[in-house]
Amino acid sequence: MRPLEPTTSKQRVVYGLAFFVLFVALWSWATFGGHVSKTFLANPLTMVQEGYELLAKQGFLFDIGMTIWRVIGGFALAAVIAVPIGVLMGAYKPVEAFLEPFVSFARYLPASAFIPLLILWAGIGELQKLLVIFIGAVFQIILMVAVTVGATRRDLVEAAYTLGAGDSGVIRRVLLPSAAPEIAEILRLVLGWAWTYVIVAELIGSSSGIGHMITDSQALLNTGQIIFGIIVIGLIGLISDFLFKAFNAWLFPWKLA
Amino acid sequence: MTALRIDQVSRTFPARAGHAPTRALEPTTLDVGDNDFVTILGPSGCGKSTLLRIIAGLDRPTSGRVTLDGREVTGPGADRGMVFQSYTLFPWLTVRENIAFGLRERGVPQQGRHDIADAFIRRVGLSGFEHHWPKQLSGGMQQRTAIARALANDPKILLLDEPFGALDNQTRALMQEMLLGIWERDQKTVLFVTHDIEEAIFLGSRVIVMSARPGRVKAEIAVELPHPRSYKIKTTPEFVALKERLVEEIRTEALKVAEQA
Repeated sequence: MRPLEPTTSKQRVVYGLAFFVLFVALWSWATFGGHVSKTFLANPLTMVQEGYELLAKQGFLFDIGMTIWRVIGGFALAAVIAVPIGVLMGAYKPVEAFLEPFVSFARYLPASAFIPLLILWAGIGELQKLLVIFIGAVFQIILMVAVTVGATRRDLVEAAYTLGAGDSGVIRRVLLPSAAPEIAEILRLVLGWAWTYVIVAELIGSSSGIGHMITDSQALLNTGQIIFGIIVIGLIGLISDFLFKAFNAWLFPWKLA
Repeated sequence: MTALRIDQVSRTFPARAGHAPTRALEPTTLDVGDNDFVTILGPSGCGKSTLLRIIAGLDRPTSGRVTLDGREVTGPGADRGMVFQSYTLFPWLTVRENIAFGLRERGVPQQGRHDIADAFIRRVGLSGFEHHWPKQLSGGMQQRTAIARALANDPKILLLDEPFGALDNQTRALMQEMLLGIWERDQKTVLFVTHDIEEAIFLGSRVIVMSARPGRVKAEIAVELPHPRSYKIKTTPEFVALKERLVEEIRTEALKVAEQA
């Protein structure tokens, strides 16, 4: 190993899998070896059994579906509102001066702390879950998009003006396409965060979803189910991240060329 | 008839914390006639780029005014095409789409855009690269595309701000010949900023020498070499004599800059 020396793609796969193997091995050693009480941590086999039980008999697929829909719903709502605001802030400095201080303040408000208020306002239905994710995502997206659009190369903007572009032409045909790959990356990042908000939202006042299943399992001290739920979240996150990445690469071929 | 008139144009950059205001350009007067090829030669920091940016409308003069065909310049516009030293092709557009950018802004329909763009692609020798992304092109090819992009708009005047400054010597020589060939064929009013003496003589019908900061016009030298010019002209006695004279002019200015620093 030397600093910054690249690895082959085969090595990357092998090393990446090796960590998972090591992780499960340690887990097995701790549980099967009796070093940790069954009450606190289920062993890997129990976890798989509980997972099968959940999927086959307790309708866990429905919970997964509910959670995915909430994440996507809340996230899409946030993106649809935040991206245009962010673009306007990045393009027009007075708009930025008007909104930036508030958005900077608002993005530090923890989404989970809004849950009691949101239950009061929106009940414990779907709207409340969507709003938690919305609040968690919207300010982050606005701010990051504004910074990205504001950092558009000045010389490209000037070139567009000397080619006869007007202000709306510069926004639509320079600022937007130039910032688009970064915006897509921002959305990918925030989608990952949305996953943590949804679980917190489902832990309180919910009757479906992965988070709800985890709270139920806690009442029954079923650590196998809890761990299975957590792993499912991780897997879905990994898959959505991969799909998002592939989609971005397909959308912006000029970035890779 | 005078195409471009620069009348007592000066530029002072306002003071920043702890620094006095910077006088970048002394009041400068210059006329550029129809189909003239004028090169502006000066050491770095002599305000020659500032002057070009004011003509392009990307910067405002502190005093004086610029008029093009009698109309005052108040902002950038398609009648003044610009080629920058930095590579400013839009990375998300192909070579053809880049060249057609200005046409698109003007609402030229797609077929017309393609026809004009393809004609300029041939003119700058980029046939076969229509669908390449800028990232896939060498520096010289990117600047050829940038020149084609500015010309496709059919501007009244072409402004070039050290467009070959970042290229290696061999590529630069080829680009000079290409640009001169286009000018000899199509006749265009061109204002070309450079710090390369040979480039200034080879391309220009007139060389404007600018002094070190604050910039002002120090000398104006007519280049009476016949057209069409080939690279061989660079070794003729007339060319060498002009070069010697300009070397002296520029050297005094460069020394001033070195003393100030």
